[in-house]
Amino acid sequence: MERITLFCFGASYAVALALELAQLLWPRAVQRLLAALFAGAGLLAHTLFLAVQRPPLRDPYGSLLFLAWILAVFYLYGSIHHRRVAWGIFVLPVLLGVIILAALSGRPFDNVSEGWNLFSLDAEALWRILHITFFILASVGICVAFVASVMYLVQARRLREKALPSQGLRLLSLERLEEMNRRAITWAFPLLTAGLLVGMVQMWYGGDGLHEWTDPRILATIILWLVFAIVLYLRYGYHLRGRRVALLTIMAFALLLLTLVTQHSFTAGGAR
Amino acid sequence: MMLLVVGCSHRTAPVELRERAAFDQDRLGHALDNLVARYGCEAVIVSTCNRVEFYLARPDALVALDAERIAEFLAEFHELSAAKLVPYLYEYRGPKAVGHLFRVAASLDSMIVGEGQIAGQVKRAYEVAHERGTVGPILHLLFQHAQQAAKRVRRETGIARGHASVSSAAVEYVRQVFDHFGGKTILVIGAGKMGELTLRHLRDLRPQGIWVTNRSAEKANAVAAACGGKALPWVQLDEALAKADIVLSTTGATEPIMTLERYEKIRARRSGPVVILDIAVPRDFDPRIHDGDRTCLFNIDDLKRIREQTLQDRLKHVPSAEAILADEERRFLKEWSRRKHGPVIARLTQDLEAKRQAIVQQLLARLNGRFTTQDRTYIEGAFRLLQNQFLHGPISALTEEAHESGSHTLLEALRKLFRLQD
Repeated sequence: MERITLFCFGASYAVALALELAQLLWPRAVQRLLAALFAGAGLLAHTLFLAVQRPPLRDPYGSLLFLAWILAVFYLYGSIHHRRVAWGIFVLPVLLGVIILAALSGRPFDNVSEGWNLFSLDAEALWRILHITFFILASVGICVAFVASVMYLVQARRLREKALPSQGLRLLSLERLEEMNRRAITWAFPLLTAGLLVGMVQMWYGGDGLHEWTDPRILATIILWLVFAIVLYLRYGYHLRGRRVALLTIMAFALLLLTLVTQHSFTAGGAR
Repeated sequence: MMLLVVGCSHRTAPVELRERAAFDQDRLGHALDNLVARYGCEAVIVSTCNRVEFYLARPDALVALDAERIAEFLAEFHELSAAKLVPYLYEYRGPKAVGHLFRVAASLDSMIVGEGQIAGQVKRAYEVAHERGTVGPILHLLFQHAQQAAKRVRRETGIARGHASVSSAAVEYVRQVFDHFGGKTILVIGAGKMGELTLRHLRDLRPQGIWVTNRSAEKANAVAAACGGKALPWVQLDEALAKADIVLSTTGATEPIMTLERYEKIRARRSGPVVILDIAVPRDFDPRIHDGDRTCLFNIDDLKRIREQTLQDRLKHVPSAEAILADEERRFLKEWSRRKHGPVIARLTQDLEAKRQAIVQQLLARLNGRFTTQDRTYIEGAFRLLQNQFLHGPISALTEEAHESGSHTLLEALRKLFRLQD
């Protein structure tokens, strides 16, 4: 089990993506099935990797890998429920991108015991886990909103060009994609807010002073929160719909990536 | 078995002739009774707008029956000239007739390949004949097998995939934009004939409401009454357009009713996306209003492109469908051969078995005491082998001849040669 590496599941997801791309050129039902099988094998290896090696979630490495794990579950769910839709073409690149970012961010030098051990948590650790969990769940929402937005833009482009429905990519309807985007950002925003608030409370009681507020990750998160607040305000206040909301969501996703790869200055280089 | 198909279809006869040769439901039964009484055969008549075909079968030869006799029958029944009918009729016998019915039922012989109606029409033709008592064991097995073959083709190939009509293709575009239709409103502008068919397909989506507007309030009321919708005054067109989710425009206007400038004002009032199906010629909507996001406008040419693509895609599946039908034809002939030859082969085997056993018993009785048990077993085995080798030839010949209409003669020959009694 300890020999499972990031490459093992990353390669499985990459093969699944290659099969999804091949499906576009030479449509065969077996290819999509094989893609799901490879992704399933990757998810199993990914799960074992997280369970055995327990990378710390407060570092980009651990949080990105956990986010990737949820995206893998999301891909498998979608490929089962929307078998005829080119789901993997949109989800798997995001999933692989997150894994690559995790690899690039480098594995922290934490030992295993610094990971998750629910039975030996003090109050501070509990607050920290709550903060991270809210943030990762919000990240999942943003990723889903991003995937829905990209699919929306592609579908809108196909409709603008009046592409034949039976040819090329099979996608969900504009209505369904808009709904998926709406739900994802509506769920992500409160989670992001909660994550941010828990982080603030933690910092306040940690007594480390206000200098931590200029931490790059906190600043990036606050900007992300502001962008989301604007998206929601435009969505519900000004009834902004369609392509413009999709573009704003993509912008929010870019900010999320920035936030995820940025390490807290006060935790960089070791456990706090 | 003798099986014969005589008929005319869209491939061989003009619509004027097909119309005159067709049988309505009332006269179909009478025609079937007549055929059976006259020729003493099993009969099924497939009569649709694209074909009129007679499927006739008898356990013995149908030598006297051919296209000319059927032309005479048709001419007499419909008061037509037999000589004028004959050039348009085709005739298939034996395995070719089986293959023809399978192709018809699987809609490979249809005007629009892969259309779904013909399978039901073939089934209905069989049911009518069955109720009338004109179907015997041959046509019963044949039509049952044809229905199974048609189902297999539809299941295993993409021959029936996609929308083959302009009106149903419209739904395919609508589904690219919307997913749920329970809360959607359809606005019908105008009262064109083409619109009726498209509206029928849109109604299948079960929208919340249908609004109909027309310059003539009378026509709007008529269309609304026919589709269970609500008629709106023509002056409310802009207001309705600002609220409707799907718009079907089929007016006979010579100028566009919706210019870009007029629509921009409506667009500003809209909240959700709208799909506009402008199937009027000349077009009712300015094509510049299409943005592929909030307003999706499709005209008659866009819908025709889907139809043409569907038909092209279906043609790609014809070779695999033909292969399935060839396989089904083989299976049918094998099954029929088994049913037909089974009793004869069983009788022949029993007969030779009895003779072999009698001879072996006689031989062993005469040479009693001279053979060991092993010798007796060897002699019995040798005689059994001789019997099997002797039977192999006639049985193989019967099976091989099943694909040809001459197997009946071979069967008779076997009966006479071996003096087999029924």
